[in-house]
Amino acid sequence: MKFLPFCRSSSLTQRFVIVAMALVAWSPCIVYATVDDALSFAYEAALPYYKQGYSIRKDAWGGDLGVRDKKAMSSQLFKGNNYWFLMATDVKGASLSVHIYDDSGNLVDAESWQKGRFAGARVSPKATGTFFAIVQILKSPEDRTPWALVYGYK
Amino acid sequence: MLHSETPLGEGIFYRFPMNHIFPISISIACLFLILSPVMKADNPPKKISLSDFPAAAVEEVVVPVPSEIFAVLDKLGNPNWKGQLRDGKVRTPEDRSRTALLLGNVIAEGFVAVEAEDAERVKELGRQVLTLAEAINVRKSVIARSKSITDKADQRDWKGVRAEFDGALQDVRGAMQELNDQDLSQLVSLGGWLRGTEVLTSIVTNGFSKDGTELLHQPELVNYFDRCIGSMGGRLRKNPLVTSIRDVLRKIGPIVNEGGDKITLEQVKSIHDLTHGVNQQIVQGTPGN
Repeated sequence: MKFLPFCRSSSLTQRFVIVAMALVAWSPCIVYATVDDALSFAYEAALPYYKQGYSIRKDAWGGDLGVRDKKAMSSQLFKGNNYWFLMATDVKGASLSVHIYDDSGNLVDAESWQKGRFAGARVSPKATGTFFAIVQILKSPEDRTPWALVYGYK
Repeated sequence: MLHSETPLGEGIFYRFPMNHIFPISISIACLFLILSPVMKADNPPKKISLSDFPAAAVEEVVVPVPSEIFAVLDKLGNPNWKGQLRDGKVRTPEDRSRTALLLGNVIAEGFVAVEAEDAERVKELGRQVLTLAEAINVRKSVIARSKSITDKADQRDWKGVRAEFDGALQDVRGAMQELNDQDLSQLVSLGGWLRGTEVLTSIVTNGFSKDGTELLHQPELVNYFDRCIGSMGGRLRKNPLVTSIRDVLRKIGPIVNEGGDKITLEQVKSIHDLTHGVNQQIVQGTPGN
């Protein structure tokens, strides 16, 4: 809104240049803002579990992925704890999934759900060790979909 | 609030003109095609090959916060936590790398004091966290935490104090990363892990059980710390204390690589001696530090 009076006095070309320059200047911020937004949604997905007594880690994973692309997040989990992994994106119309595998590649989800831009998986490790949260973008209107993953334990 | 959107599958069902135009068979085929991604989400493969993931598609392990381990220890019984407490006040080193390691060490000590329900020691450690954070320019990030630690210790809100120590560790690391001090940030985590492992092995030694040794099965974490040191700048990597720690990690690595139930009492004692030795160097300093 602040730039509006200035834009009114400009020619179409000037306006185009100003808008283009503004977009270039702000583009990294736009990318970061989107990943941050995905993180906000991931924390939102974690809220019900926080209320159930899970401690939610501030450390989070995130980035952007193409449709059907997968990424593995390694995690040290301890037998005796319960963990919820919550994933989200801010892209409307996208859907994604997260599932947990042990270091031999066996699925170890105790339960999981996937609802549009949110997904979650719970694990109660049978043994302490390294586990992998495999995240995937199932569907998205965007070429690259920002995502974030957080986890909680109790 | 959460999941307020119509789930994907339901939206498609409502919009699809099922009752006319398409013959039933085509409708079913289309429906199957449209729903297949959702069905796949509900049916992940039971087994995957992790070798299908190139290194770039695997994110580094996230270092567990101490309370993840203490949450398990809570369930294993009631060890003599007071006996694990370290005496005395630490002096702030001049060497920033040792300060970072000591800061992590002191935060881990805070957890021990919480378990011992020693309010005075908790408050003292909260103040030490602030002093050490100041020495590496991240005081601002923990002022509120330090105050909360004192307040909650006075109220004997042990769960709250634990959350504050966890928060202090994460806030300090976050502040360091903002200052582009990733290496020092890793040293804070490493200092915490070393003290936590020393205490854990002491407890497991005193009440040896398979459930206790299980907690030591942390192969990827030990490798991760080793890799972190390997990727540090030359000066830091050659720091005598950091070199000692790397040697210790390389001795611990093969032991914790075993399945948790295969780690013997002698091996637990060995890890304890190694971590105790290096923690003493962190607290007292070594020549050149």
